Amino acid sequence: MKNSKKKTSIGNILRMTLLYILTIGFIFPFYWVITGGFKQQEVTVQLPPQWFPIHPTIENYRKLFYNPALTWFFNSVLIALGTMILVCVVSTMAGYVLAKKKFYGRELIFAILVAAMALPKQVILVPLVRLISSWGFHNTLSAVILPAVGWPFGVFLMKQFNETLPTEILEAAKIDGSSELKTFILIVVPMVKPGIAALAIFTFIGAWNDYFMQLIMLNSKLKLTLPLGVATMQQEFATNYGVLMAGATFAAVPILIVFIAFQKYFTQGITMGAVKG
Amino acid sequence: MKKVFSLLMVTLLLLVTVVSGNIQVGAADDLAQLKAEITWWNFPNFMAVDGVIGKYEQSIITAFNQKYPNIKVNLENIDFASGPEKINTAIQGKTVCDVLFDAPGRIIAYGKSGVLADLSDMFTGEFIKDVNNNNIINACKVGNKYYMYPISSAPFLMGFNKNMLEKHGLLNMLNLKGDRTWTTSQYKALLEALKAKKERGAIIFCSSQGGDQGTRAFIANLYDSSITDEKITKYTINDQGGVRGLEFVVNAIKSGLLLNGSASDGTAAIDEFCAQRVSHTILFSSGLFATKKDQIKFEPIMVPFPSADGIPELEYLIDGFCVFDNGDANKIKASKLLIDFICNDSIWGPKNVKATNTFPVRSSFGNLYKGDETMTYLAGLTKYYSPYYNTIDGFAKMRTAWFPALQAAFTGDKTPKQALDDFVKVANDSIKQ
Amino acid sequence: MDNNSLKAQGNLIMPPLKDARFRRWRTMPKDIHETIVAGVFLLPAICFFAVFVVYPIIVSIFTSFFNYSINRFEFLGFGNYINLFKDEVFLKSMKNTIVLVIGVVPFIILFSIFVALTIYQKSSLVCSFFRGVFYLPVVTGTVSVIVVWKWIFDPLSGILNWFLETLGMINQPIMWLGDKHYALWSILLVLFTTSIGQPIVLYIAALSNLDKSHIEAAEIDGATNWQVFKYIKWPCIMPTTLYVVVITIINSFQCFSLIQLLTSGGPNYHTSTVMYLVYETAFKLTQFGYANAMGVILAVVIGFFSILQFKFFSNKVEY
Repeated sequence: MKNSKKKTSIGNILRMTLLYILTIGFIFPFYWVITGGFKQQEVTVQLPPQWFPIHPTIENYRKLFYNPALTWFFNSVLIALGTMILVCVVSTMAGYVLAKKKFYGRELIFAILVAAMALPKQVILVPLVRLISSWGFHNTLSAVILPAVGWPFGVFLMKQFNETLPTEILEAAKIDGSSELKTFILIVVPMVKPGIAALAIFTFIGAWNDYFMQLIMLNSKLKLTLPLGVATMQQEFATNYGVLMAGATFAAVPILIVFIAFQKYFTQGITMGAVKG
Repeated sequence: MKKVFSLLMVTLLLLVTVVSGNIQVGAADDLAQLKAEITWWNFPNFMAVDGVIGKYEQSIITAFNQKYPNIKVNLENIDFASGPEKINTAIQGKTVCDVLFDAPGRIIAYGKSGVLADLSDMFTGEFIKDVNNNNIINACKVGNKYYMYPISSAPFLMGFNKNMLEKHGLLNMLNLKGDRTWTTSQYKALLEALKAKKERGAIIFCSSQGGDQGTRAFIANLYDSSITDEKITKYTINDQGGVRGLEFVVNAIKSGLLLNGSASDGTAAIDEFCAQRVSHTILFSSGLFATKKDQIKFEPIMVPFPSADGIPELEYLIDGFCVFDNGDANKIKASKLLIDFICNDSIWGPKNVKATNTFPVRSSFGNLYKGDETMTYLAGLTKYYSPYYNTIDGFAKMRTAWFPALQAAFTGDKTPKQALDDFVKVANDSIKQ
Repeated sequence: MDNNSLKAQGNLIMPPLKDARFRRWRTMPKDIHETIVAGVFLLPAICFFAVFVVYPIIVSIFTSFFNYSINRFEFLGFGNYINLFKDEVFLKSMKNTIVLVIGVVPFIILFSIFVALTIYQKSSLVCSFFRGVFYLPVVTGTVSVIVVWKWIFDPLSGILNWFLETLGMINQPIMWLGDKHYALWSILLVLFTTSIGQPIVLYIAALSNLDKSHIEAAEIDGATNWQVFKYIKWPCIMPTTLYVVVITIINSFQCFSLIQLLTSGGPNYHTSTVMYLVYETAFKLTQFGYANAMGVILAVVIGFFSILQFKFFSNKVEY
C-alpha cells in the first residue's frame, strides 16, 4: 500500500499505455476473424477495411458447412478427449512411481524420458506413418491419439506433482497393510487431482492443436479434425477470406471456451512443468 | 509431327459428329451385382454446380449407382495446393483412394513407382482407334502398361479481363482476329498501357507447386524458347530465348508491369484475376473457367502466350483417371467400372466431358460445343501444341525445382541465366535418376 | 489461476521434513519389491514410449543410411549425410532455423518480462485477463491465426500495405511473404506472437513468488524501480529466464505449420526451416532416407539443447 502513490508515475502510465496497445494488437486479429466471417467476400478485401460488417451475411458459414465441419468438430473432440484420458491414466501411474518409489533404473528411465521430450516429431515422421499403417490405423483417429500418448511430457509433469505428496501418508498406508493398487487409487489419485486436472486440460488443448500429427495421419474428408479441415479449406479457397475467417472462427471458438473455463488448471500445468525438478 | 497431330485433333474435334453407340458393355450381368466400396479423390475439374464443389460429381455417382447399385462410391474433393502431398502421405499410410481424377504428370509418376493398377484391359482396340491420337495414348502408359484412362483435353492459355480492357479502351491492343496470336512487344505495350491506367498485371505465381506448367510455357514463349527438345530427351529452357524470357519477366516485375508471385500459388493468382484485382492471368483454360464460373462476374477472353515470332507453343492438359492398387481385386474391378461409366456411358460420357468444359479424347463424341465461340476458337489451336513432356522420367523432381528457380530470379539471388542453368541441371539429372 | 493458489502449491512443493518415518524411508535401500511394483506402474508408459518414440527413432536412424523412396531401398552408407552438407537448400534451411531461433528469443524474453512486471501485482481478474490475451494465439492454434496474418500480409488487399501506402511510406506494394528481405522477418513476427503466452505465465508465477518484504525494504531505502529490478527481481527470476530460453529455443526449432501455411518455404527457400524441409523431402519428393538423415541431424542439434534442459532440471531450481 505504501508504494501505491509511486505507482502513478509517468513511467507507469507509459508502461500501461504500451501494454494496452499490445493488448489491442493481440485482440485485433480475433476481432477481425470473428467479424470477417460475417462479411461478404468483396467486403473482406476492401480497402480501406470495413471495420465492422455493415451488411452481415451468413453465406460464409453456409459454404463452410457444406464441408463436414461438424464431423471435423466431433473428430477433434474425440481425439482431444481420447488423448487426454490415455495420457492422464498412463502418466499418473508412471509419475507416481517415478516420484515416490526407489527402484533400480529410476534415474536412467527419467533421464531418457526428459531427453526425449525435446525430440522433434519430424525425426520419426516416416517410420511412424509406416508403423501406424502396418496396423491398418492410418487415417483413423487412433493414428493421432496413440503416438501422442507415447510423448513423455505427461509423465514428467505428473512426476513433478507427485513429488509434492507427503510421504508420511503413503508410508502410513503401507503400514496399515494397504495394497499398492489400493494406495494408488484411494490415496494418491485423490491427492494429485489438481495435477491431473492441469495435465488433462493441457493435453486436451495440445491434442486439439497438434496440426502436424493430424496432417500426416489423416486424409479423408470425414476423418479430418477442425484445424486440419480449416487448413485444407485455406488451400482450397486461397483468397476467399470470408469463408476462411468463418472457418477460423469455428475452429478457434470451442477450444477458446475450454481454455477460458479451465484457465486456472492450464496455467498450473505450465508452471508446474518449470517450477521444480 | 506437330502438323500430323494438329490434323488429327482438328479431325477429332470438328469433323466427326456421329456419336457411335458402341460403348463397351462387358459381361454386364455379373458385374452389375459386384459389391464393393471405393473412394474417389477428385481434383477440381468439373464445373461447380450452384457454387458447390462436388455437387456435380455426386450426381454422377447417383447415376452410376442406378446401374451398379452395390458399389458404394465415396467422393472426396482435393485441391491442387495440398492434394499432391496428401496423396503421397496416403500412399505411405496405405490409405490412398481407389480412383483418382488427375493428369499424367502425377499419375505416370505413381505408375512408375508401382502403386497403380494396370488399366491395359480398358484400352480396347475400339478405344484406341476412337481416340486416334498417339500423343494422348502414349501419355497414358509406362513401358507397355497403361496407368491412366484419358477422358478429355484442352490447351492452357492466358486470360484477360475483357470488360476491364474495354473500360480503358485497350481492347484493340489484343489481337482478336484468327487465332489471336500476338508478339511479345505487343504484350509489353499492353502491360505499359495497363500500368498507366493503374491496373495491375498478372501475378507470376511460384509458390507451392500447382500450375507450374503455365509459368514455364509463358516464359518459354516470350522469346521462342522451348521447354524440352523436340524428342523430349532433355530440357532446353536455359537457351538464349528462355533466358531473355525470364529477364523480361524479372524486369517487368521490377518496373511494376507484372507482380511477383513468390508467395502466391496458382489458385491464388487465378482467384485474384477472378476477383478483378489483376488484369490478366498467365494460366487459364476453358476448364479453369468452368470451375471458377460462379466467381467471375465479367467476360474473360482467352489468348495464346505472346512470342517474339508471333507463333505460340501451347501446353495442353489431359484429364484422366488412375486406379490405385490397394490389394483388393474387387475394388480395382469396381473402380474400373466407375471410370468406364464416367468416360464411356452413352449419356454421361459426353455430359461429363462438357462438365469439365474441355474436349473429349473420344472422337466419336463429336463436337460437343456447337455454336460456342470460345470453344470453337480453342479447338482450332491444336496446331500450336508443343511436345507433351509431362510423362518424362523425373517429372515430379523437375517440378519441385522450377518454382525455386523463379523465386531465385525474382529475389535477385541468381541472375535469370544462372537460375535457368541451375534448373536445367537439376531437371536433366532427374531424367537420369 | 490466482496468485494465492499458486502460493499454496508452492508450500506443497516443500513438505515438512521433520517426520522420523520419512527419514527412515529416505535411507531405505532400493529393493526388489519396489522395483516390481514400479515396473507394473510404469509398464503402460514405457510401452507407448517404446513403440511410438524409441522404435521410430531407431528405424529413422537406420533408414537414413539408405537411398529409400516408394520403390527403392539401397544402402548408401553416409551418402545422405555427405550430400546434406553439400545441399544448398538444406544449409539455407539450417541457417533460417538458426536465424529464427536467435531472432525470436531475446524479443520473447524482453517482452514477456515487461508484460509480467506490469501486471503481476494486479488483481487476479486483471491478471487472468492479460494472461488470456497473450495466450490467445497459442490456444486458438496456428491454423486460425494464420488466416489473419495471410490477410495482413496480402500484397494486394492486405491491411499492412494499405496502411503504409496511406501513410505515404511506400508506393509499391511489398510482397511481405514473397520478398526475401521481408519474408523471414514476417514469419518471425508471427512466431513471436504465437510463442509469447507460456513465458508470460511463467514470469508472472515467478514474480508472484518473490519475497515482497525485500522489495519494500529496498523501496523504503530509496531504490529506483530499475535498481529494484536489476538487483532483486532479475536475479530471482533468472532460473525462469533460463527455462524460457530453453523451451523457446526448442519450440522455435520445431517451427513448421507457420511455414507450411504461410510461405511453403519460399521465396527460393528463404523461409524454409529444417522442420519444413524434412516434411517436404518426405512427402513432396518421397525421398524418405534423405528426409530421415535431415531429421537425425536436427535431433542432434536439438539434443544439445535437451542436455542443457536436463542439466537445468536436475539442478532443482526453486523459487
